[in-house]
Amino acid sequence: MEPYTRPFWESLRDGTFLIHACESCDERFFPPSPICPHCHSTDVDWSETDGVGTLYSFTRTHATAEPFDNELVIGTVELADGPKLLAPIDASYSSLEIGDDVRIMSREYDVDYDRGWLDTYPFFVARPVTN
Amino acid sequence: MTRTAAPTVAGIGTVPNGTYSIPERDLALRVVQEALEDASLELSAVDGMYLPAPRPWTPQGFFSTYLLHLLGLDVDRSVEVSTGGTSGANAFHSAVSDIRDGTVETALVLAVERNSIVETTGPYFDYILKSFDTEFESPIGMTVPAAYAQSMQRYLYEYGIARRDLADIVVKNRTNGVANPDGLFDESLSQDDVLDARLISDPIRLFDCPAPCDGAVAILLTTAANNESDFPQILVQGTGYHHTASHFLRSRETSITELPAVRTAVDTATERAGVSIPEIDVFEPYAPFPHIEAIVTEELGLVERGCGVTACLEGQTAPDGPFPISPSGGCLGRGHPPMVTPLLNYVAAVKQLRGTASTQIPDVERVLTTAEHGHVNGVTATVFGTEV
Repeated sequence: MEPYTRPFWESLRDGTFLIHACESCDERFFPPSPICPHCHSTDVDWSETDGVGTLYSFTRTHATAEPFDNELVIGTVELADGPKLLAPIDASYSSLEIGDDVRIMSREYDVDYDRGWLDTYPFFVARPVTN
Repeated sequence: MTRTAAPTVAGIGTVPNGTYSIPERDLALRVVQEALEDASLELSAVDGMYLPAPRPWTPQGFFSTYLLHLLGLDVDRSVEVSTGGTSGANAFHSAVSDIRDGTVETALVLAVERNSIVETTGPYFDYILKSFDTEFESPIGMTVPAAYAQSMQRYLYEYGIARRDLADIVVKNRTNGVANPDGLFDESLSQDDVLDARLISDPIRLFDCPAPCDGAVAILLTTAANNESDFPQILVQGTGYHHTASHFLRSRETSITELPAVRTAVDTATERAGVSIPEIDVFEPYAPFPHIEAIVTEELGLVERGCGVTACLEGQTAPDGPFPISPSGGCLGRGHPPMVTPLLNYVAAVKQLRGTASTQIPDVERVLTTAEHGHVNGVTATVFGTEV
């Protein structure tokens, strides 16, 4: 059996951010799962998103686990397509405000943290969208 | 199965929160002895043992089996629960259910934890990281304060609350905790102390976080008929639990500034107890950060949404206020061994009902406590009272 989420990571390698869409209730959701968490239908499929959303909340850490920098800017992004997700934020903490326009993008993963079978895949990051 | 009498608290045993260099075993045996003495019960009366599963860094594995052998106890139920911060509470609720349905007559509920033996930069962070989504969140470097910092940030934003005002909840709980002989702290804090402390995860600072420490509690529950305590009978009048379809900050329908699991668990517990919130005299919630206490105050229906901080500022949650919250200090003011904290809240409830609390509220007849895990994704609620 293949990990269910492998298509997500394969697409991310090509710069495409995938979420899930339920064909039964039309909700979009993340993380991907074969069961819709809204209506419990299994009639679900991958759906491409442009990663555009707004910053729902954010923080800057000052102490983290060993392989990570102590100062990390992390936020919750509410995608225009619906789902909310956590993401590293590629911006200084002081420059951010709740409601900022951001976009989720693919980024090489360079932390010495064991991601298991995902070790060769990129991760993602949210970047402010400048008009 | 034949339903028996409602569970009553027969005895309590505690050690002060702090740092201990003795094994968990010895802390456990000490609080068990104290609880038995408090209950005027023989150890042989115990026929069920319930505890939160020891954390991964506890040297002694298979802890309940080890302890049952050491105590020479044959029991009809032995349970170790692992549901994060609600573990101790769910262990207690299992004991309550087993006494209610007659599976056991006298239950020993026990929690023991030493956080002083774990490196917070190494194994502890690894353990915490794995509680987030290991595929999509752990690789970011998430921490528990980083989750609560985001709900604090959002709460301040949604309701236009000044960061400074939140500090009052910490100050109030620390003042209560300093008076508690089982608490970790000797000194109270000013608002400036809270606001000038080092940053942990913006906008959360050091004293906004519950201080990890060592601790142990034992509580003996039994049927009213078996209860030989010298104190008036204290009943577990109602229990409730709810887990929403959320995982840390991932919630779909509601804002992260709402805690629906609190609302639902409390509704269940009060309904089972046959009481309403205005009939509760004291609240001892598991509120690990100040904005969580504010939101819990709102979820209990004590104030309108967004007014939880004002309630503290106006003294409504103070020991002499209309709805005292955490007169024991809670985990912010008392120190926080997470596996033990739910039981420390129960002990605080029992002491209020006995009239022996460090910060005693007059004429207490009912106390409500809560426990939570994750980002308040799962919640227990428990109502204690003196009416039979």
